[in-house]
Amino acid sequence: MNSGDFGPNLLRFVGLTALQVLLFKQISLSVGAYFNIFAYPLFIILLPLATPTPLAIFLGFLIGICVDLFYGTLGVHASAGAFTGLFRTFLLNALEPKGGYSGKELIPAPHYFDWQWFFSLSGILMFLHCFWFFSVDAFTFVYIGGITLKTLAGWALSMLFVALIVFLFNPKR
Amino acid sequence: MNNLLQLFIRNGGFITFFVLEAISFYLIVGNNQRRGAIYAHSYGLFAGYAYRWRSNMQEYLHLREEVEALRKENADLRTQNLNARLISVPYRDTSYQLLYDTIAGRDSLRHKFTRPAYEYVPAVIITNSIGLNNNWLMINRGSADGVVPNMGVVSKEGIVGIVRHVDREFSTVMSVLHRQTKISAILKDKGAFGSLVWDNRDPNHMTLKDIPRHIIVSDGDTVLTSGYSTMFPGGHLVGVVEGPPKPDRDNQYFYAIKVRLGQDPSLFSEGYVVRHLFQQTLDSLQQLTNEQR
Repeated sequence: MNSGDFGPNLLRFVGLTALQVLLFKQISLSVGAYFNIFAYPLFIILLPLATPTPLAIFLGFLIGICVDLFYGTLGVHASAGAFTGLFRTFLLNALEPKGGYSGKELIPAPHYFDWQWFFSLSGILMFLHCFWFFSVDAFTFVYIGGITLKTLAGWALSMLFVALIVFLFNPKR
Repeated sequence: MNNLLQLFIRNGGFITFFVLEAISFYLIVGNNQRRGAIYAHSYGLFAGYAYRWRSNMQEYLHLREEVEALRKENADLRTQNLNARLISVPYRDTSYQLLYDTIAGRDSLRHKFTRPAYEYVPAVIITNSIGLNNNWLMINRGSADGVVPNMGVVSKEGIVGIVRHVDREFSTVMSVLHRQTKISAILKDKGAFGSLVWDNRDPNHMTLKDIPRHIIVSDGDTVLTSGYSTMFPGGHLVGVVEGPPKPDRDNQYFYAIKVRLGQDPSLFSEGYVVRHLFQQTLDSLQQLTNEQR
């Protein structure tokens, strides 16, 4: 990770948080409890490949708590963000291409890999994020049915917007 | 310091994760009433389990003392139980009954005329044998505990044997699995009495003899001690009749009934020595009778 990575990531941090709290929160509030769109996990997914695991977890926690401040759910998004940051490392190791990462790829984006690879990474991470988020949100597994439904709905909608954003901006670093 | 930082960057993922999750949960529980209530409830459940587990452990550590105390209490209760049984038997004479009735009856009066006849001494069986022609046991009670020869030894579910030799601390007990054993016993429902002997080498069965052939004996009848000797209190479980009764080969007018022992002799581990409190009185009376014969 070098200093050149700072700018684009800061931009994504601010932009995705703004998008989340200004647009998606309002949509979710006006449409219904099952209509949740998460855009900010894209920031965690698109962190540079060389990011150390503790830093990724911390940044996930940080963006989560920023979103929490606007949602008024202090700690819930932060918990899910930290979890996604931890699991990102495992998944990157599991999805490592043949011959390993070459060093030319700066971030796990479709610009360097193919779309299928990107969708496996972001799809799994987004699903885990949603599941963790809604579990912590309910704070009990008594409502496991509701948690599962919300997770599936939230996951499908979020992935739609993730694809849209990545397609529009096609991030390279 | 730099090395430590490198180590943390490479392996600190889980630590960071757990610290941040702890902070998150602290915030979650502190900032939302519903989640706080769920947390408090779960904490209560968990703490309950933890405390119960701890107290279980403590109880387990004191188990030996507990067993000692229970054994003693058990002996006391048996004595009491036996006394209760005796109330209606030896002293309920007509004259006493009259006395009881005329002096505007208080129930405690009735107890005035009763005395306990038996006392139990709890004992642990320290050696045992079942495979010989004549089997012996040893118990950890002796003359220091008031044990004298010819006292019976019973266990919870059956009879163990008869004390033969007594030392200060220990005694040897003639097991029920001994050729010389002869214990007076009754069939519970029929009331017929006979004597219990061990005439084969089967360690789980004894033979009940001297029951006349006109008594109807069936499989599963309960056999109790009769109480006709001072060795065993009456009504203590011995075992159950097994199989249809066969005629005694020595005397065709009597049965030889196979009795399955209530207490498996191979599993003797503890018992109670039965002490008859009027043994000496009865002995001296018997002595007088013998001299006059």
